[in-house]
Amino acid sequence: MPMDLATLNKPPITARERKFSRLILFFEDLVKVPLFRCQRCGECILSSTAFICCQRCPKRLRNGPCGGTGEDGSCEVFPERKCVWYKIYYRSKWLHRISLLYKVNKIHNWNLERTSTWLNVFKKRIDAPILFVRNDKQKVKDLIVDDAQREN
Amino acid sequence: MTLREKIESNRFILCGEIGPPQSCDGDFIREKSRHFKGFVDAVNITDNQTAIAKLSSIASAKILLDEGVEPIMQMTCRDRNRLAIQSDLMGAAALGLRNVLCLTGDYQTFGDHPEAKGVFDLDSIQLIAAVAKMNSGFLLSGREMKKPSEFLIGAAANPFAEPFEMRLIRLYKKVNAGARFIQTQPVFDLETFSRWMEKVVEMGLAEKAAILAGVMPPKSAKTLLIMKAEVPGVKINEEYIQRMKNARDPKEEGVKMAVEIIRTLKQMKGVRGIHLMPVLWESITPVIVKEAGLNNA
Repeated sequence: MPMDLATLNKPPITARERKFSRLILFFEDLVKVPLFRCQRCGECILSSTAFICCQRCPKRLRNGPCGGTGEDGSCEVFPERKCVWYKIYYRSKWLHRISLLYKVNKIHNWNLERTSTWLNVFKKRIDAPILFVRNDKQKVKDLIVDDAQREN
Repeated sequence: MTLREKIESNRFILCGEIGPPQSCDGDFIREKSRHFKGFVDAVNITDNQTAIAKLSSIASAKILLDEGVEPIMQMTCRDRNRLAIQSDLMGAAALGLRNVLCLTGDYQTFGDHPEAKGVFDLDSIQLIAAVAKMNSGFLLSGREMKKPSEFLIGAAANPFAEPFEMRLIRLYKKVNAGARFIQTQPVFDLETFSRWMEKVVEMGLAEKAAILAGVMPPKSAKTLLIMKAEVPGVKINEEYIQRMKNARDPKEEGVKMAVEIIRTLKQMKGVRGIHLMPVLWESITPVIVKEAGLNNA
């Protein structure tokens, strides 16, 4: 069965909720912009990217780096910057959260752009953050082995 | 035999590549196809590669199909949102195209329209999943199609870019999303490539998807130097550049080098084929195929 990666617009955002969302976003920004340089995509996956906002990537990739990362980890578009996924990988390793990088992140729902992620999680539009990861190395191993067995 | 059947029957695959012209000249494709017909299993048609506006990959692939060469249409996420991608894929399926290579696409500032808006609505992994979904009869919206597509899905991999493990994670995601063949960046660093290949086999990915190693015959030392300086994520061993510089006939040396690399790759465990990229030098394909002893098609 193919993966289902489209986040559909359910439940739809009402005009009233949008106003409320903007109010919450004000407070969310106070935390997330200085801490993570949040780009306000409204569909936060910070917890699976080792708390570095992947939307800083010029291509806004949500599933890992493109093929252009330099040997020193530089971004191909802005060579003076480090590739954000390069940083995510090394911090994931440091925080023992590599197994989360194996997860395929859904296609971005552009209707959620500039809405409050906290409210979207509460309304169950998007997945809740994954705060703790135990036995990261074992999980990666299981993922690979599980998959080999599923095929056979 | 189609490419899908060849991959399923475990034959050694050989692919070529044609870059469409920056004009409305369809004969350009017909002419180039002659260098490949009867020598390779399928030919990639690039989709506005390096972000330069070119003849569309779907139209070029159709021309190639009419010439009797099996095309692999490339599809990038830079120029299309999810509506355009699905509509183009349906159109391609209706024209009889059966192979699609899913790519994210080079960033627009590398091309001739650096002022353009890049779309990147999907990324390559999500695109693979979207095509797989269309193959199962559904669009991204969840709506059912009366006639599903039957694409053989391909993807690209770069074994040479950093971080090494992240490349394997990306490959894992691509294969699990539905990619059935993987084309790699040109190999000019056999040591890194064999290290990568070992891991790919260990993870069981080489069984689920056919790994086609990229090979590029260099025309001169300058080609290699330009690639090293300007193409991000390409690793070229100094030894190869020196060899090209010292060669009396650089073209002959380039062919010799490509054949040598192909022979080594063929011995490697897990490599199921070669993806030949004779950039601006398509006419050399038959020579390389003959010298490397790859009598395919």
